[in-house]
Amino acid sequence: MTKNSYKTGPDELGYFGSGESAMGGMAVGETLMPVLHELNQGFEEAIKDQSFLDEFDYHCKHYIGRPSPLYYAENLTKKLGGAKILFKREHLNHTLSHKVTNSLFQVLLAKRMKKRALICESGAGQHFSATAAVAAKFDMPLTGVMGDIDIARVNQNIIKAKHYGAELKSVPGTLKEAITEAIKTFSSNPDYAYICGSVVSSAPYPRIVQFAQSVIGREIREQSMEQEGRLPDMLIACCGGGSNLIGMIHEFLDEPEIIKIGVEAAETAALSNGTPGIMQGMKTYMLQTDDGSKSLGGSSLGAGIQYFSVGPQHSFLRDQGIVKYTSATDKEILEAYKLIASTEGICSALEPMAGAAELIKQAKNKPKDYLICLNLCGTGEKDLNTIQEHIGKDFE
Amino acid sequence: MSDRLKKIFTEKLPKTKLVSYFVGCYPTPEISLELIKQAIDNGVSILEVGYVTSEASAEGPIIKAAHDYVLNKGHNLNDIIKLVKNIRDYNQDVGIVLMGYIANLYKYPISNFVDDIKVSGADAVLVVDAPHELKEENQLRDALNKNGLSLIKLAAPTTDDKRLKDIVNIASGFLYQVNVSGVTGVKSASETDVTNFVKRIRNLTNIPICTGFGIKSPEDAKKMSNSGCNGVIVGSAFVKYIQDNLNDKLLTQNVGKLIKSFTNVLE
Repeated sequence: MTKNSYKTGPDELGYFGSGESAMGGMAVGETLMPVLHELNQGFEEAIKDQSFLDEFDYHCKHYIGRPSPLYYAENLTKKLGGAKILFKREHLNHTLSHKVTNSLFQVLLAKRMKKRALICESGAGQHFSATAAVAAKFDMPLTGVMGDIDIARVNQNIIKAKHYGAELKSVPGTLKEAITEAIKTFSSNPDYAYICGSVVSSAPYPRIVQFAQSVIGREIREQSMEQEGRLPDMLIACCGGGSNLIGMIHEFLDEPEIIKIGVEAAETAALSNGTPGIMQGMKTYMLQTDDGSKSLGGSSLGAGIQYFSVGPQHSFLRDQGIVKYTSATDKEILEAYKLIASTEGICSALEPMAGAAELIKQAKNKPKDYLICLNLCGTGEKDLNTIQEHIGKDFE
Repeated sequence: MSDRLKKIFTEKLPKTKLVSYFVGCYPTPEISLELIKQAIDNGVSILEVGYVTSEASAEGPIIKAAHDYVLNKGHNLNDIIKLVKNIRDYNQDVGIVLMGYIANLYKYPISNFVDDIKVSGADAVLVVDAPHELKEENQLRDALNKNGLSLIKLAAPTTDDKRLKDIVNIASGFLYQVNVSGVTGVKSASETDVTNFVKRIRNLTNIPICTGFGIKSPEDAKKMSNSGCNGVIVGSAFVKYIQDNLNDKLLTQNVGKLIKSFTNVLE
C-alpha cells in the first residue's frame, strides 16, 4: 500500500481525506474517548499478531463457512440478455448475512482485550443475531439495542438472538435511534465492548469494520480469477451504513477500471440527497435539517438500509469520485426480489435487492463479456412477512 | 478566556458556585426566560443554556424528553441565542454557557456562531461531543479564544492522567468534571469518588472545577461541595421539576424556591 492509495487511511484521528473536506473523526463525549483510543490501540496490535489473524481465519472457515461462493447467475444473465452476472453469496454465511464476519472479528478482539460483556445495535437484526451467535460461542453476555419498528418487522432475528442468550433493549424508532441509544449504553458501561455493526460511528469503528469485511473483496478477486480468469468489470452492493459495500470494494479501490456502485434506499439516500454534518460520532453526508438540529429521513422496506446517514469512508469516496452512489425505491427493490427469486431460486433479503435493482439497469445495456458482481449480503427469511404483505404469496 | 467567568470564581462567596442547566426555550422561549430569571434571582452563579439536537448522545430520559419537546416546537439555535441576549439584558454578572452538540454548530457555521454569541453576551460554549481530537473543536476553540470567550472542557472518570494533562492545558473558564460514566440524570455520584477525582485534577491545575452528573438534591450538592470543587452543576433535577409541573401557574416561582434550596446549602 502506498501513500496515495485509497486503501490506506483513515489517519490516526479517524479522518478520511484532509482539510475541510475530511470525513470521519471522533465526535463522542469525553467518557468514551479514552475507551476508543484503547480500542484503536488494541486493534492495531491485534492485526499485527499473526496468531490472532490465524484464529480469525480459522473461525471464518469453520464457524462461518467462508469463503462464500461466487455464483454465476446464469438464468438471470440470460433473462436480462446483457452482462454476465455473478452473485457473491454472503447470505450463505452462518447466521445468513455478511454481518457475522465483523461480529466474529470484534468479539475476538474484545476477548483479546479482556472485555467481559458486549453491546451492539442493529437495524435489520442481522447484526444482532450474528453478534449473539458469536457471543454465545465465545461465552460473553450481549445486550442488543434495536428500534421497536424494526423489532416488529424482523422478529425472526430477535427470536434467534434470544435463543443464543442475548438480551434485547428496545427503543422507539429504527436503526438511527438504536445507534444513538447504543452510544448511550456504551457511555454508561465504558468497560464493555461495543460491537458496532457497520462502517459508521466514531473512529476506530469505520476502520475496524472495514478491515473485518474486506475479506469479501479478497475472496472475489481469488474466485473470479479462478472461475472467470479475470476480475469483474463492475461491483454493486447496497449501502445503508455501508459495511457490505466497503467489504466488497475495498480490495479494488486502487483499480479505477473496475466500476463500483453503492445503492442506498431512495427514502434515506444520504449520499445522493444529503449534506455533510456531524452526528452519531462522525462527520459524513446525512439527511438533516438545514440548521443541523434534527436528523431526517423516510422509511424503506429494507430495515438495514433505512439509515439517514452513511459511513464516512463512503462520503470520502463519493467526493473523490471513486465510487458511484445511486438509490432504489421500494418498488424497484420488490421487483428485483421477484425476478431473482423466480429466475435463480434465491430468497434474498430486501436490502441487497436495492443493489439488484441497479444491477438490472446496468446489465441490460452491457455486452455479454462484461462481468458484473452483486454482493448478495443477506437472506430473505427475515423479510418474508414484509414481502407477503406487499406482493402476496404468489406474486400476483 | 472569559473575564466574567474569571471574576465569578475569584469572588469569595458563595464558596461553591451553583451551575444550573436549563434546556433553552423549554417549554417556551418566554417561560424559559422567566425560569432563568428566577434562577439568577435565587443565587445561580453560572447558567448552562442547552441548545437541542435530535441525536444527543449524552442525555438521559429527562433531558432527552425536553430536547424533543423543543425540537417539535421548532425552536433552534438562533432562538436560543436570542434567549441568551435577553438573559444578558436582565443580568450583567451571571455566567452564561451555551451547551449542546457539534451538529448544530457545524451547520451554523462555527465562525458565525462565535460572532453571534459574542454579541448576545454569552461567556462560553460547552460541546458534549467535541473532544480535542475533532477538527471542529480546534476551530471553535481558536475562534472563542480570539474573542475572549471560553470553551469549557470535560474530564470523565475514564480520563487517564496523560489525557487529563492535555485537557487541563486547553481548558478555559472552568473544568467540567463528569462524575459518573453515562448519561445525564441517571446514576448517582459517590462523594469519595468525586473527592479523589477533584484531587487528581488539582494536582495538575488551579483552574476552577465544577462537578456534575448525578447531583439530584440539595443534600447531594452539599456533599459534593466538600469534595474541593469550586462549583456543582445541577441539570436533570431542575428539568425534571419543570417537566412534572408544566401546567402549574406557580411554576417559575417554585423553580426559584427549588434553586434557593440548593444555593442555601452552598453559602
